[in-house]
Amino acid sequence: MIRVLIAKVGLDGHDVGAKLVALGLRDAGMEVIYTGLRRTPEQVVRAAIEEDVDVIGVSILSGAHLVHLSKIRRLLDEQGAADIRLVAGGVFPQEDIPALEQAGVSRVFDSGTHVSEIADYISQLA
Amino acid sequence: MDKPETIRLQAERWRREVRDPSVQQAPERQTRIVNDAGDAVEPVYTPADLAADEFSYESHLGFPGEFPYTRGIDPAMYRREVPIVSAYAGFGDPRDSNQRYRELIQLGVQGLSVALDLPTQLGFDPDDIMACGEVGRMGVTISTLRDLEILFDGIPLDSLRTVGSTANSIGPIMLAMFIALGEKQGLDRRRYTVALQNDVLKEYVARGTQIFPPAPALRFTVDALEWCVHNAPHWIPLTVCSNHIDVAGAGSTAATAFTLANAKYYLDEALRRGLGIDQVAPLMRLFLNEREDFFLAVANYRVTRRIWARLLREQYGARDPRSLQIRIMGYAHGPRETAQEPLNNIVRITMGALTCFFGGLQDMRCASYDEAINLPSDEAVKVAIRTQQILAHEFGVTSTVDPLGGAYYVEALANRMERKIAEIMQVVDQLGGALGAMERGYVQKTITAGASRRQQAFERKERVSVGLNLFPVTAEPRPQTFRIDADVERRQVERLQQVKQERNQNRVATALAEVAASAKDGRNVMPALVDAVKAYASVGEICGILKTVYGEYQPDRSF
Repeated sequence: MIRVLIAKVGLDGHDVGAKLVALGLRDAGMEVIYTGLRRTPEQVVRAAIEEDVDVIGVSILSGAHLVHLSKIRRLLDEQGAADIRLVAGGVFPQEDIPALEQAGVSRVFDSGTHVSEIADYISQLA
Repeated sequence: MDKPETIRLQAERWRREVRDPSVQQAPERQTRIVNDAGDAVEPVYTPADLAADEFSYESHLGFPGEFPYTRGIDPAMYRREVPIVSAYAGFGDPRDSNQRYRELIQLGVQGLSVALDLPTQLGFDPDDIMACGEVGRMGVTISTLRDLEILFDGIPLDSLRTVGSTANSIGPIMLAMFIALGEKQGLDRRRYTVALQNDVLKEYVARGTQIFPPAPALRFTVDALEWCVHNAPHWIPLTVCSNHIDVAGAGSTAATAFTLANAKYYLDEALRRGLGIDQVAPLMRLFLNEREDFFLAVANYRVTRRIWARLLREQYGARDPRSLQIRIMGYAHGPRETAQEPLNNIVRITMGALTCFFGGLQDMRCASYDEAINLPSDEAVKVAIRTQQILAHEFGVTSTVDPLGGAYYVEALANRMERKIAEIMQVVDQLGGALGAMERGYVQKTITAGASRRQQAFERKERVSVGLNLFPVTAEPRPQTFRIDADVERRQVERLQQVKQERNQNRVATALAEVAASAKDGRNVMPALVDAVKAYASVGEICGILKTVYGEYQPDRSF
């Protein structure tokens, strides 16, 4: 069974989207763990390794996406968890997306994405 | 006027003989229309739809400025005064924002609400590890009184109708800062008006900037309210918000019910402290919202005034008309502003703004059309202000009071909303009030279920966004985004360090100790907070010391 960690990093408190995706992925048959609000990249990476997840889905709307997502990817790679894939959801300026992809984010989902599309993508990824 | 029963029979005849045969020949676009409140919308509304609620003009509507204030809290409403043009603004460092504020005032802004960055809202100084990457991004960073002095440099607080902030968990700290800034500017407190959000309850379920556990946080909030009752009774130290609860998924009907339940909680806490209802209620206002349906929005604003007036008179025994006349503010957004084709959002926001005018609001602001992409650009902010000014002064929108009052559809929606709000408030009461309902997860479940319903409706295209799921555009380039200077974090850390070097450390330590002592002893913390901010203690330091007394919020991992 695919294991997914849905993580809220940074300080923004908007977790409706994160919870909807968590519910949708669970309905799609995945094992889903949610971190709760305001986790640091270190906490997210620790939880992902402890829970042995296949994919981390980071939800962020605060604008600090480049800082946090790059750090999560780097920490994963450093801690021998390079196989854990990273996806992100939120509101991102178009021109940041190449930078996010370059930083090792497999896929960026914009607001307005269907939950089923995210589920399909993660199924293929894991 | 014809009797409702006669009209009902006529409506049945019309449906049977005229409408149904017509629709059988050429069907409607949708066989069934359900609004965001989950209710079916009828093909047409007549006086018969109001009869079910024993609608009477006198008891349901009345006249503007008279109980139950459905038609407005003021007899002359917009013929006397149009809604205050407010702006929610702030980004980067206080100097950047000061420049923006001056421009806003030039354009005619009368009320300023300081948009704070997330570290400030959560009590982290710019040099805190938790603030990394977020300084100055979602708003301006204010870590000490020095930042607020710079932010309002050349802008006397009494040159604005209201000045305030969306501070919630740190609401009382921002209040202390505005008290101190007023003194620095040499102003009599009676000459300016501070309007705060300071509504911490909704943070735990919908907005997410909670710092402390709920019970002490609520006491902290009411400290600000209590202080103003005695020291600044014309200020607005508490704006109870439905906005975030609605947008998170609850829908406006449930959101308004939860908001009124939250308001009751604050009132009850104030009464427990020995304050009179007519001392407290006039200092509160509501921030209501409905972005999914134009007519639901108008109904919501209007009926909430009626519910409030009855609640305060019947349950609380309020006598002062100012307690019964609830002031409402709004933030005009469209239905789901899109990042694609952002100029279309101007149309959406204009419609949202129109609901505020038809709803009889006192204070409002319009969103900027580029908010789905980035912090508002200069041009988008200007359009937002002009939108409100155009609606206020062109096209006859404000010529008469409550122009949609008495519309069968609007009043039928209002009556149904009133019933449903009463039902939800009863459930909340049974669960032990706002805090109990939250602790038992009732509020959160309502929000998540609603959010899920909205997402499904969107995916089924019952909830339409033109350009997104209807007439979609492909690969539309977005306009140049407004960027925060990347150097803000370093500058803010430097300024904080400088302030810390220049201030009297003993005075800071004494003031912080007194903040902790008054919180611990259950005394009102406001006097100690005022001393602390005047000594240039930082928001991070104050929250840090309060955490030792109040404890810290632990994240909820359920979904």
